Amino acid sequence: MPRTSGGATRSDIFHFSFLTFNYLVDRNTKRNGLVNFLVLLVLGMAVFGAARYAGSLAGQVAAVFFGLGTLIAFVSWFQMRLEERELAEKLEIEELARTKSSSTLFEDKETAFFPARSSRGAFEKYFVTGFMVVLLALELTGAILLWRGLSTMTYVGIAAPKMLVALGLFGGLALILFMRGRFTVTIARIENNRLLRPASNFVLLGSYLCVLAGAALLGDKIEFPKADLFVAKFFTGLLGLVALETLIMLVFEIYRPRLKGKVARPLYDSRVIGLLAQPEGLVATAAQTLDYQFGFKVSETWFFKVLRERLPLVLLAQFGVLLLSSCVVFIEAGEQALIERFGKPVSGNNVLGPGAHLKLPWPVDKAYRYRTEQIQSFVVGSAPKDDDGDHRIILWTVPHVKEEVNYLVANRQEADAATDNSSSKKVPPVSLLTTSIPVQYQVTNITDWVYGHESSSNALQNIATREVARFLVSVDMTELMSVKRLESAQALAERIQTAAAARNLGVKILHVGLQDVHPPVKVAPEYQKVVAANQQKQARIVAAEGEAIVTNALASAQASVITNNAEAARLNLELTATARASAFTNQLRAYQAAPLVYQRRLYAQVFPRATANARKYILVTTNTDHVITFDLQHNATDDMIRQQAEAITQSAK
Amino acid sequence: MKKNLLTIIVSVVLALVFVMILFVFQVRQSEVAVVTRFGQPVRDVTTPGAYFRLPPGIESVYKLDQRIQNFEDTFNETYTADGNNLLASVYVGWRISDAKAFFPKFKNGSVKEAERNLKDIVTQAKAAVVGKHPLGDFVNANAQDLKFDAIEAEIKALVQAQVAANNSGIRIEYLGVKRLGLPESVTESVFALMTADRKKLADQLSEEGNSAARKIKASADREAQLLISTAEGEARRIKGEGDAVAAAVYPVFQQNPELDKFLRELEALEASLKERSILIFDSRTTPFNLLNNTLPNKSSK
Repeated sequence: MPRTSGGATRSDIFHFSFLTFNYLVDRNTKRNGLVNFLVLLVLGMAVFGAARYAGSLAGQVAAVFFGLGTLIAFVSWFQMRLEERELAEKLEIEELARTKSSSTLFEDKETAFFPARSSRGAFEKYFVTGFMVVLLALELTGAILLWRGLSTMTYVGIAAPKMLVALGLFGGLALILFMRGRFTVTIARIENNRLLRPASNFVLLGSYLCVLAGAALLGDKIEFPKADLFVAKFFTGLLGLVALETLIMLVFEIYRPRLKGKVARPLYDSRVIGLLAQPEGLVATAAQTLDYQFGFKVSETWFFKVLRERLPLVLLAQFGVLLLSSCVVFIEAGEQALIERFGKPVSGNNVLGPGAHLKLPWPVDKAYRYRTEQIQSFVVGSAPKDDDGDHRIILWTVPHVKEEVNYLVANRQEADAATDNSSSKKVPPVSLLTTSIPVQYQVTNITDWVYGHESSSNALQNIATREVARFLVSVDMTELMSVKRLESAQALAERIQTAAAARNLGVKILHVGLQDVHPPVKVAPEYQKVVAANQQKQARIVAAEGEAIVTNALASAQASVITNNAEAARLNLELTATARASAFTNQLRAYQAAPLVYQRRLYAQVFPRATANARKYILVTTNTDHVITFDLQHNATDDMIRQQAEAITQSAK
Repeated sequence: MKKNLLTIIVSVVLALVFVMILFVFQVRQSEVAVVTRFGQPVRDVTTPGAYFRLPPGIESVYKLDQRIQNFEDTFNETYTADGNNLLASVYVGWRISDAKAFFPKFKNGSVKEAERNLKDIVTQAKAAVVGKHPLGDFVNANAQDLKFDAIEAEIKALVQAQVAANNSGIRIEYLGVKRLGLPESVTESVFALMTADRKKLADQLSEEGNSAARKIKASADREAQLLISTAEGEARRIKGEGDAVAAAVYPVFQQNPELDKFLRELEALEASLKERSILIFDSRTTPFNLLNNTLPNKSSK
């Protein structure tokens, strides 16, 4: 190997020159990195200011991308500095090695001798990973908060004069960003300038975002209302996608194969951002990603080569197919569709029924679908509670609606009373009624339904509510809730149908339900008391009728007893008289034969029988002056003794 | 060459789309469009179709819904002619009848702003008309006495007149009273009235029940008494018949009244001594007189 005067070979000199060149290039890269950082910071603020001024939502969301780009640009610039230091360190060591004859001192490659390299390594290993975690948190939080904010906000639109100013600002900023972006992107394509690529992509993407935000402002005023809101939501979705990519990159970083000597792609270099900033490099990016992840040249396979060459044609064909697919419209059962050609209903064939239909492609013909066969419904009055189960018990006294809506109702009884009692001032009687009336309907004429009113369902609801109110103010409450409930429901349905027809709503009223019409909850117990009183009245009458039946039955029985007893008595009298007469005839014969004897004998027969149960005291001595005292009080002991004696006698028998 | 052709086709398509967006606008059947040139309304388009326009910045197109719009005014308290407080709300169906007149009156032809404006007019008209009518015109048991339709017509006429005077380009298609109600304090009074009314009815029913029950019982007692009385009368008649039959055999006893008397006395004696009695006899009474002759004399002992 030929050597120079200093002892260095040609190869050493060439290597040293290469390092020197790299060092100079790196210094230039670092400058570009700083410029990118400043551009993103300043122009990002300008974009945010213009967006705030015009009220552009898309512009404000785009500013979030500028913020993220600024952070990444700063980190990449810092990393460039570390790499520059590392290169300078390497250059210095090479220089020392070249000038010293012995390189023993530097043959030892211990880390302690390369502080810049170890700093860069530690930075990439720890700081960049930590930064990515923070970036992920920022992206996710931003996406979620922005999406929530955009979904709940009331969109007010953009004022025309401000729109023009903002449009000019966005256009100017987009131009600056585009020029700067193209320049740095081209520089970044050099391998050594890979650290310049992330921020460069953000600069170029910023340009496109400004164009889109401006287009959204324009669209908002031309043909597409709320275009600004939609674009802002699209940007937010994009932010979510970038967050997802960051998460995936963090996970993949753990499993990525590390090839010795292969320069790693910066972790914060987003492929999604790169793809959006340089869509022409879609295939290249995909190939690069696959190559990077698989560790071999996937991009050199035939499939990728074919895809790269034919991609525009495939995209064009897909667009054509998409346009063709808009020439067929499928209407499902229960639906109808209106076809408009340049906004005008197609004469004679603008209503399509269920089935497949051909039409001119979008945007010439547009189809608007509506469910017409479907039975739709709404509630007039109090809306039922959401947890209304099928088997729930509904009582007047228990609240069962979300909010009780009371309607004024005439009360005929009170009206009569008021008319009779007052002479000067006639006060119409008023009661209150809680209603929850479901109305079911079906669209019968889609043209009337769609073109007649801005909101035909709202109009129908208003009309139905009016008819209910109109009906109730003259109907008697008690009758409505009892005998005339069904009749009233039919009358209401007819009224609503007539009113809807008069307004050309194109609907058919199918059902009006008066099942949940009752007094307000507060007075409902009093109505139940009336029902209870009526029941009590009936109960009392029934009880009295029962008692009457018992009384009459007893009386009838008693009467029967009386007459039967009389009959028995009569019979007894007749028979006794006849028997006595017959006996007397015979006794007379005996008496006539021996009057005294007969009398004495008869007396002797009857006396013992007649006095058998009597307690007898016999005064044997009659001619004395003794005073005999008898205690004729009732003697319980005697009775008891006698009863016991009788019982013993009977038991003995 | 092939690549260039493809680029040209894509470029032409994109250019066409861009030109269409810039120079053409569509008006739907349900819409009416107002075209402004440098902010000044120059024409309105009322029939649907595709129309040319100058690019944005020169001409702007504002599309307005020409269908009937609906809104409901506030359910607010008003005062009737007979001094009653009444809550009422009306709904209004209106449409843009003259887009060119409508557009400059409300910011960028804003329907919401127009409704806000109309709401004021409607609320004012409603209060004015309600104030002319007694409560009986709104709520009445006699349907003939109600003036619901007339009241609605009056409010509508007032609103339409005001709208016409403002030259707002609005036509009122219909107007209806949607809801009627009473303030809370009055509602409480109505509840009290309803409660009293129900209580009266409940008491009435209760007393009717008592009254009916009493009547039924009295009627039953009367019928029972009648039955018993009739039976007792019948019993007397039957017994009389028995007496008559018994009397027919009396001549038999007349053959010897003394014997008959003796027999009856014996029967009476037997009958009267059936229950436990106390009899005090002296020894002269037959058959106890036998005791005098048969008992041993103390002295003879």
